[in-house]
Amino acid sequence: MTHWKSSFPVDLADESRHSRREFARFLALVSTGFTAGIGYLWARRRPLEGAPEAGDQAGHAPAVAVCAAADLAPGQSRLFTFRDAQDKCILVRTPAGALRAYRQACTHLGCAVRWDGARLECPCHVGFFEIDQGFPVQGPPTRPLGGIALEVRDGMVWAVGDLPKPTAPGRQAMAARPAEAGAEGAAGKCGCA
Amino acid sequence: MKGHRRTQMTGAALVFTVLVAAIQLYLFETVLGSVLDGERRLLPGAFAVSAILSVVALYLAFKAPNLDR
Repeated sequence: MTHWKSSFPVDLADESRHSRREFARFLALVSTGFTAGIGYLWARRRPLEGAPEAGDQAGHAPAVAVCAAADLAPGQSRLFTFRDAQDKCILVRTPAGALRAYRQACTHLGCAVRWDGARLECPCHVGFFEIDQGFPVQGPPTRPLGGIALEVRDGMVWAVGDLPKPTAPGRQAMAARPAEAGAEGAAGKCGCA
Repeated sequence: MKGHRRTQMTGAALVFTVLVAAIQLYLFETVLGSVLDGERRLLPGAFAVSAILSVVALYLAFKAPNLDR
């Protein structure tokens, strides 16, 4: 036997071999990690960043005046802050004339979405959201934007709370909706068209 | 290698463990999405299911002697 073989007696083929049971142990520990993660989410009292607090509905948050309704022409948007200075939101008057407001944080990785005239666009990873309910219609986001409930009082648009998350339809169904979303939005849920 | 008991799992046990890990991944992703949507009612049930699956996977991987060939 040569000198180096006696110094390093481990066979490379044996060294890289992992048994089924070792692999299964790894998978079992990964499974346990997922369980621990779910347990952490359960035990955590504070909502995760970007998640609405339990019980947040329209009427439970202090109302914020955004702008005069007449100042926003169809197709225009305006940025505002809602709960605090970090809670950036976007108010849009759709081409059909309805008012919609959403949190600006993209539900993918939190970049600020912007209004491109037809849809809300996240420029970071080219994700798009339809304007009627905030559902993702293109790109990596899979969850809808957080909606803001609006009211018009004496000609002023007020943000009055968080809308409940809408039930998710199929993405392809939503992709076909933007054309009809505007017309539907004129009699929209916020009652501020 | 006399005296060294080489342990090998059956293929079925290994496939089951892989399946459990895949279910756990799907479960965690679903639960995380729900929590981010402000929906926490799934958490107790999901945790219970996940814990049961983990116990089964751990038993198969560490304890089940009759799976060795």
